[in-house]
Amino acid sequence: MSETKNNIYKPIKAKVDKVIQESPAIKSFVLIPEHEFSFKTGEFIELTLNGYGEAPFTPSSSPLEKKKIEVTVMKAGYVTDKIHALRPGNIVGIRGPFGRGYPLEKFYGKEVVILGGGCGFAPIRSLLYNLMAEKDNFKKVTLCYGAKTPEDCIYKPFVDELRKVDKFEIYRSVDKADETWEEKEGVVTVLLDDIKVDIPNSVAVVCGPPVMMKFGTFKLLEMGYPEEDIYLSMEKNMSCGLGKCGHCMLGKYFVCKDGPVFTYAEIKNEPGIWL
Amino acid sequence: MNPSFQIHKNDWFAFLHKSSEEYNVYLPVRFNNHIEYEILQDEPENIALNIARPVTPLKTFLLPVKENVVINTSIHNKNIIIGVPSCDLHALDLLDKIYLDQKFIDDSYRINRENTILIGTDCLEIHENCHCISYNINPFPEINHDLSLVAVNGEIIISVNSGKGKKLFDELKSSFPVKEAEKMQIDKIQEKRKEIIIQLKKNNKSLPDYQKTGDLIQKSEDEIWERYARTCVSCGACTTICPTCTCFLLIDRPDFEKVRQVDACQFPGFEKIAAGEDPLKRKYVRFRNRYLCKYVWRPGQFSSIACTGCGRCIDSCIGNISKNEIFIEMAGDDG
Ligand SMILES: Cc1cc2nc3c(=O)[nH]c(=O)nc-3n(C[C@H](O)[C@H](O)[C@H](O)COP(=O)(O)OP(=O)(O)OC[C@H]3O[C@@H](n4cnc5c(N)ncnc54)[C@H](O)[C@@H]3O)c2cc1C
Ligand code: SF4
Ligand code: FES
Repeated sequence: MSETKNNIYKPIKAKVDKVIQESPAIKSFVLIPEHEFSFKTGEFIELTLNGYGEAPFTPSSSPLEKKKIEVTVMKAGYVTDKIHALRPGNIVGIRGPFGRGYPLEKFYGKEVVILGGGCGFAPIRSLLYNLMAEKDNFKKVTLCYGAKTPEDCIYKPFVDELRKVDKFEIYRSVDKADETWEEKEGVVTVLLDDIKVDIPNSVAVVCGPPVMMKFGTFKLLEMGYPEEDIYLSMEKNMSCGLGKCGHCMLGKYFVCKDGPVFTYAEIKNEPGIWL
Repeated sequence: MNPSFQIHKNDWFAFLHKSSEEYNVYLPVRFNNHIEYEILQDEPENIALNIARPVTPLKTFLLPVKENVVINTSIHNKNIIIGVPSCDLHALDLLDKIYLDQKFIDDSYRINRENTILIGTDCLEIHENCHCISYNINPFPEINHDLSLVAVNGEIIISVNSGKGKKLFDELKSSFPVKEAEKMQIDKIQEKRKEIIIQLKKNNKSLPDYQKTGDLIQKSEDEIWERYARTCVSCGACTTICPTCTCFLLIDRPDFEKVRQVDACQFPGFEKIAAGEDPLKRKYVRFRNRYLCKYVWRPGQFSSIACTGCGRCIDSCIGNISKNEIFIEMAGDDG
């Protein structure tokens, strides 16, 4: 029995439509699911490589697009290596969407400051698509993005487009600049010194590697952001995505079910939030 | 006690033999020093009703160690499980909340649960590590069972506790002589229950209660965990044998199939993320994680307790670690 449509463990199939090399270690994959697939920005999917393994990714595409879904994957180990070897036409599996994404309604009428690092740009791009589509609901959007070197900066065409949109301000930095780099040098948090923001009427969103999340959050607190206005997208080991397997515990929370997006106020007392 | 009925032991076993044509009937049987569920065949020997407690926790019947959860090749037998102790019945609260969560129902668990008739039993003899009473669980079936039974003086005293239980009981009634339980037998059981509760309380008088244990764990220093974890070898015996530990890993198979396999936070790498970072890298942190999970996090998430006081983890630890010793030490004089 029980090869049901609703089997929570069974992925739906999706075809790889396009592969985009974003940086030496990061590729994006445009997937066409076998049937329409919708998600809210910040929710994640489990991507199955047939017979090899499964890993969680937050779609980087617009949540308004139902026929295609894009994930941006950094080569980090066993499964992600195999994902990087995918070619157009290959079939993968997806389960989801899972979790609690960004609560956009809570951002309405405010300025949104986004701090992103490395591959943490993936969920943020999906958020930015959403913010663009609902531009009238927000005062201003400020993106601060950092990467290791200029060649590690991802989504170059998207960033160029974004710069042309009114109400959107883009700041970028790299840890180590070269002669081609005309923007800031330094860790991403230095960008926060340059931005103009009305903190009491703003929320901050942070996504990136654990160290960056930690120092980003501390910097925002120092600037005067209340703990409940700092939104963090937490990375944990995951298996089921369903609040059952126990791999993603962050204190009393299941990151897969209660997160991955949390306010700092919600999780600040849980152990190991920065690992 | 629900209205109780009485049937002679021989009739009861004759009924079980008849039922084993349709069901796998499991009975608690004594082997040397421990009790284990055995499938009913021929003439059962050393049946150990009313004695705490089968080594195998009830969860094993509902969540096999390894199971293909996509094509679900498992044979979902219809089971009658006799002699389930109260602690294991209480553990089902948490399991049901996790696996029957309306939003994400685990089909395999659901089918196993539906196909299983649970017959709870009194613990009229307790095990040295039993401490259910410290966590407000009585040593007789209270919840989550279909029928309950106690064997006294060659008679089986049965009460009905669910629709599923009633159905089986009606079958019993239609083919064997069943009468209302004699007052004498009920009194005997009630009296025994009181004695056992007193004994459990006495055995565990220094052990802090559930809430207090959670508070103590949260306030504790690393030192105590480092000290107790010294002999821990991260084997996961405690999680394997625990009636409420059910963490797992999904393993991929060809054709997009997935196998749900038992896993545990005691195993190194359980929470490792890409680039190798691991919040549970240190052994004492893993060791403590299990207690934080049981006494603080699971109750916080599900409003269910996650330690039912069965004491199995104490029996099974090859490092000779007793969780109760830790909590008694933490509680100090006001425990
Ligand atoms: C909600 C969420 C969203 C994410 N979004 C993105 C994204 O958009 N882009 C991106 O590049 N990365 C993202 N990640 C991280 C990504 O899931 C990991 O890089 C990936 O799982 C690493 O798998 P691996 O097998 O290549 O690594 P390895 O280090 O080889 O992993 C070995 C095994 O360890 C386990 N494991 C290790 N790390 C993780 C992990 N983070 N999560 C689950 N299991 C793990 C798995 O069981 C895996 O099989 C996200 C993570 C989470 C939790
Ligand atoms: S802990 Fe209590 S309920 Fe469980 S077996 Fe022991 S006496 Fe029975
Ligand atoms: S990933 Fe399984 S419980 Fe969160």
